[in-house]
Amino acid sequence: MKYKIIISLMALLLTTFSCSDLLTPTPVDLITNDQVLKDANSARVVLTSAYRDLANLGAPKIIAGDLTSDNLIHNGTFTQYREISNKDMSASNGSATALWGVIYSMSYVVNFLYEGLPNIDISQSDYDEITAAASFLRAYAYFVGAYTYGGLPIVTSTVVADNRLVARASFEETLDFIESELLYALDKLPEESFNSGDVTNGAVKALLARFYLYKQNWTEAEKYATDVIEGNGTKAYILEEKFENAITDFSTESILEIVYSANDNPGTSTDFSINNLFVGRREIIPSTEMVLALQNDGGSRNIMLEFDGKNVRGSDNGWTIVRYGPFENIQLIRLAEMYLVRAEARAQQDKIFGATSAEADINVIRQRAGVPLIQGISKNQMLSAIENERRMELCFEGHRWFDLVRTGRDQQVMDEFTNNWTEKDRLWPVPLREISNNPSLKNAQNPGY
Amino acid sequence: MNRILLLLFLCTFATLQLVAQVEEITITGTVTGERGDALPGVNIFIKNTTIGTISEFDGKYSISIPSDAQFIVFSYIGFLTIEEPINNRNIIDVVLKEDTKQLEEIVVTGYSSQKKADVIGSISSIDPKVVQDMPIIGLDQALQGQVSGVSVTQSSGTPGGGIMVRIRGNSSISSANQPLYIVDGIPIRDGGLSTRSFGGQNDNALSTINPNDIESMEILKDASAKAIYGSRAANGVVIITTKRGKIDTPTTFDIDIQRGIINPTNSVDVLDASQLLQLQREALFNAGEDPNDAGIPGVTDGVNTNWQDEVMRQAIVQQYQLSTRGGSEKTQFYLSAAYRDEEGVMLNNKFSRATFATNIDHKATNRLSFGLNLNLGRTKNNRVKGDNFLDGVYNAAITSLPYYEPYDENGKLIVPGDAGYAEIPNFNPVGQAIEPRFDTYATKMLGGIYAKYEIIPNLFFISKFNADYTSTIEDQFEPTTTAIGGWLESVQRQGYGVYSTTEYSTLLNNNVLTYSTSIGDVHDISGLVGTEFISRTYRSGSTTGILFPSDDFTYLTSSGLILDGSSYLDNSGLISFFGELNYKYKSKYLAKISARYDGSSRFGEDRKYGFFPAFSVGWRMTEEDFLSGISWLDDLKLRASYGLTGNERIGNFQYLATWGATTAYNGVPGVGPATLGNPNLGWEQNTEFDVGADLAFLSGRIQFVFDYYYNVTNNLLLNEALPYTTGFGSILGNLGEVTNEGMEFTVTTVNIDKTLHWTTQFNISANRNIVQKLATDEPQFSGYTTFTNSTHIVATGKPLGTFWGLKYLGVDPGTGDAIYYDKNNDGKLTANDGTYIGDAEPDFYGGFTNNLTYKGFDFSAFFQFSSGNQLINFGNTTLLNSGEEIKNNQSIKALERWQKEGDITSIPKYEFGNTENNRFSSRFIEDASYLRLKNVALGYSFNQEILAKLKMKKLRVYASATNIWTLTNYSGADPEVNSLDGSTTAQGLDLYTFPQVKTILVGINIGF
Repeated sequence: MKYKIIISLMALLLTTFSCSDLLTPTPVDLITNDQVLKDANSARVVLTSAYRDLANLGAPKIIAGDLTSDNLIHNGTFTQYREISNKDMSASNGSATALWGVIYSMSYVVNFLYEGLPNIDISQSDYDEITAAASFLRAYAYFVGAYTYGGLPIVTSTVVADNRLVARASFEETLDFIESELLYALDKLPEESFNSGDVTNGAVKALLARFYLYKQNWTEAEKYATDVIEGNGTKAYILEEKFENAITDFSTESILEIVYSANDNPGTSTDFSINNLFVGRREIIPSTEMVLALQNDGGSRNIMLEFDGKNVRGSDNGWTIVRYGPFENIQLIRLAEMYLVRAEARAQQDKIFGATSAEADINVIRQRAGVPLIQGISKNQMLSAIENERRMELCFEGHRWFDLVRTGRDQQVMDEFTNNWTEKDRLWPVPLREISNNPSLKNAQNPGY
Repeated sequence: MNRILLLLFLCTFATLQLVAQVEEITITGTVTGERGDALPGVNIFIKNTTIGTISEFDGKYSISIPSDAQFIVFSYIGFLTIEEPINNRNIIDVVLKEDTKQLEEIVVTGYSSQKKADVIGSISSIDPKVVQDMPIIGLDQALQGQVSGVSVTQSSGTPGGGIMVRIRGNSSISSANQPLYIVDGIPIRDGGLSTRSFGGQNDNALSTINPNDIESMEILKDASAKAIYGSRAANGVVIITTKRGKIDTPTTFDIDIQRGIINPTNSVDVLDASQLLQLQREALFNAGEDPNDAGIPGVTDGVNTNWQDEVMRQAIVQQYQLSTRGGSEKTQFYLSAAYRDEEGVMLNNKFSRATFATNIDHKATNRLSFGLNLNLGRTKNNRVKGDNFLDGVYNAAITSLPYYEPYDENGKLIVPGDAGYAEIPNFNPVGQAIEPRFDTYATKMLGGIYAKYEIIPNLFFISKFNADYTSTIEDQFEPTTTAIGGWLESVQRQGYGVYSTTEYSTLLNNNVLTYSTSIGDVHDISGLVGTEFISRTYRSGSTTGILFPSDDFTYLTSSGLILDGSSYLDNSGLISFFGELNYKYKSKYLAKISARYDGSSRFGEDRKYGFFPAFSVGWRMTEEDFLSGISWLDDLKLRASYGLTGNERIGNFQYLATWGATTAYNGVPGVGPATLGNPNLGWEQNTEFDVGADLAFLSGRIQFVFDYYYNVTNNLLLNEALPYTTGFGSILGNLGEVTNEGMEFTVTTVNIDKTLHWTTQFNISANRNIVQKLATDEPQFSGYTTFTNSTHIVATGKPLGTFWGLKYLGVDPGTGDAIYYDKNNDGKLTANDGTYIGDAEPDFYGGFTNNLTYKGFDFSAFFQFSSGNQLINFGNTTLLNSGEEIKNNQSIKALERWQKEGDITSIPKYEFGNTENNRFSSRFIEDASYLRLKNVALGYSFNQEILAKLKMKKLRVYASATNIWTLTNYSGADPEVNSLDGSTTAQGLDLYTFPQVKTILVGINIGF
């Protein structure tokens, strides 16, 4: 009798726990790869993570464009920024690694969309819009990457086995890839976005203008810049009357910006928060040369700077860049840049004076900034004036280093700023971890690193 | 049990004797232990008769004996039996000595227990008495230095902080290496309680359990001992048994009170204001800048703050415990209540704990017994940020510039916005300590019920239902007087509050059948089979708020903006079947087979189940005829074991390719890739081989235990680094292999056994850890980022915790610049010049304890040592930075810097902005071997006469001192630190880690 009781008791105990429940709990707030794409809505949700990568690109791009040049200097404790500031980057530099990582994490999302979308029920217009936005975002990331690292590994699938071995394409191949992505996206996106911050056709055209300017294809650069300025196939962008409004969130001249909200906890994270780097920690401050240049400029553009005497000690000149508030957006492309792109493209085509000239374009920007207009100068003087104008108008938006390198003026300009500038500083190093983990990159480090 | 039978037996026969004998005398006396404590329940009988009695609760006895009796025998489990000649005395007081041979001692081996003589696995036992005089917070601290093969490092001197316990080395690279802790059959949560990083230092979930409620601890070290725990056993198992009542013992009460003072062991020597200013001027001058232009004054303005003194204090520790235990034949109980309150040496740092324990056992019928264990604990930890924390306290106190002050001339704290506020990078360390609120409250409930039923003689069915529940609430606020709440613009300078909760619960049911029998006095067979179900749940939630109306409002209810809300749930489970078979032939040849079959939810469909068998054999040579003639040899046992164990401690759902939610962008929610799946993900498998010998001779005066082991862990779960071009940083796979080979040796001796009793225990262990295989030929890196990648490297042929960097060759006497080894001989200093520059693994480590008793006095001294281990003094990359930046104070060693041509020194010249001279190199690696007098204690137990007057059973007073003396060449604050608490690959790094503390205690134990 007793045995029976014991045995039935044991049986009861054993059945209390269902094996399948215990060993296969349902993941919470995680879905497996095959569950991700179902319809157009779920594809947009995936696209959001490509936008997040764009947001993560904001700060590293400013670091690259301004700290690598003569605009910013390091003033804090992080080695990665000190190395960039001292023009003494190592291949393990954290910023170089972070920027590279963001490019490819975005690439994975875009490729995932391209691979998955054909298998789901989605209208052609939704397909075009989503893939055009995805291609544009990837093109933007590769564009920043190409001018930061040189030729990049081009990744167009999600297959890990292939992507871990992919070699660097040449610089030209990389540019061709970016161009084809942008041309694919062209005229597939709405002129006006439903949600401010989304990519529009204006952004595609504006990036094409910048792309051709960098590539020294002056006619194409002028053409696309004109489209954006005149609103051909784009929303009608209007130059803000005051410079201080041009750098606020969603100004009338904004073409593309990274949107931050209070939900992006500023906390104490430093990697991707430009406000923390500039204002919070003052890890990075304007160089004295930059401060003087903005002061001497005379116009309204020095509102981006603030001085506090009690900060002055050692290398600290006491100046702070107050341009980016805690949750403020980062402007990626705005109308003023298009005027300067066209001015440069026109100057290169010897259109110096007149109604459709470099002089007309540069003066639109100078007038708004409240600085004297330029009149009657030579082509070379004009190119030099445009270089300077870009520095003033677009400072702390991540342009300077790219401008100096693409025009070949880097050595001359940087020699006045530092003794450390060499040929190698025209590019950042390919991250050491990439070279260590991808045999195809074994001997592919940029010269000098 | 035997004692009761014996007693009944004796009583019955004593009555019979009374009838036969007429002439008799009465003898009375008291039985005490060596510390003068009364021993109740001692068997007292007349030799070669059945006349006997047992001692009362106060150790007193009275026995009537025939007048011709010669010897009276006193015997008690765990003590040496003595035969006392009567010699016509009427009062006979005896002192029983503890039996150090302990062959009859019972050892808990997991789901069952065994006589020590029959154990053929490698199991070490700790009697918590050896640590009772020490100021230990958690049971893991009790393991330190006591047992061979177990390395214990306190990560810092912070009370309730993390402790690294490694049994026979690190067997895993990416999974946890902490052992499995089982308290009364319940696997308990270890690791940290807090979810918020405090700069590398964690708190400790084990601190929620009161170590004074522990009766015994067993450490299972080899496969034979551990395999019964299967997939969780690879890192070793610590079995903890809490105190219980004993059958037929009078109720006793114990009061233990401890109070003491705590001071830091050491400080970091830094420059004073004028030394530093001179150095900074020199650094700027060497860089071609004018120090006056750069705002560096020539002389000190009179302010010279010793920041380390400002943030530290003498702290107080106190502990009170009341416990009672006792039992009848049917019911036994143990109850205790304890409170501990320990201040940290850092301002505002305090750990307090209240615990309650209840253990009840009841025998309902001859066959059925059942019982209850319940441990409740509540801890409150007032934490301060430390180590590598932007706004930490101790780190900033070391690096703060001495020409700033914590308080202004009116004695008001200098806060953000004040003229004298130092801002980044060091802020005001005093404000950072006293202003924020970082309170962590933990609630622990550990308990369960069991029933045991004897189905037929010797066949028992035991079923247990247990739960381990740990909940943590973190209540944090940083007011506007702190760096985060009042200075950091992105937080908007109106306070910063975080409230988060976590809850871990483990529900467990196990059902075990045990059987033992003997066949014809030559074959002893015992065994068990069982099943176990474990269900684990983790829940968490956290909310952050900013924009508080003022510093009077400190809870999120008042915050103007709530950010970062989160909540989470996670389940995992384990289903197991296990068994064990022990065989003994004539007590001579021993064999054991054990195995466990585990199914875990953490692994993919094809790899869900794992089988972990072990086999061991033993030979008690002293039972052989050819050794029986050797009277001085008590025991000689040879043993060997071989088996498999596993490690399932990886995160959940790692085998699935998953996408998770990303932060919304521009108001649109998103999902992004989370992990790259690996459906073949399986167990880490540890194959272990152990041979050992146990030797005791001269009546237990000398005992040796020796073990050699060789463990191979393969299928190591390893995050194989992927190039980012894949979209991911890494993928988890079963890729690596690590071996641990080692030797352990323990010797226990009774040096003098007279009125003065002196015993020594010495243990020493050496472990060689080698990474045999990685995912690819390429090494992996971890730790902090450096010029040559990272501070630590995981490379084949090297131990875990190997350092990587430039090799420093010294200072060029001509230029004052650092010279590094140009490994690839390309004439340039690049990342490719990185090389191996040391490792954290000790050559050997151990402990050395001496115990002396003389009359009522007892004295113990416990030394701990570690040799050959190195530390990265990573703080020196800032504190001895050759002028790379001038925002931090410098080590006193900076005075030895190169200053002019021809100077021969190892410290490069100071040149502002020069990064080259401060590259991470072997310049920052130091030998961290140490010998430490961990504890010394002196006690006095009052004798029976006084106790009788006081109506007490025990009265002992003692004083004890911890960490009072250390011998080391390490130049940092403390050689026993670990900044990246819990890391396996990045061990041995000191980044302003808070040093161990010096504690001086007085205490009293009262029993009645």
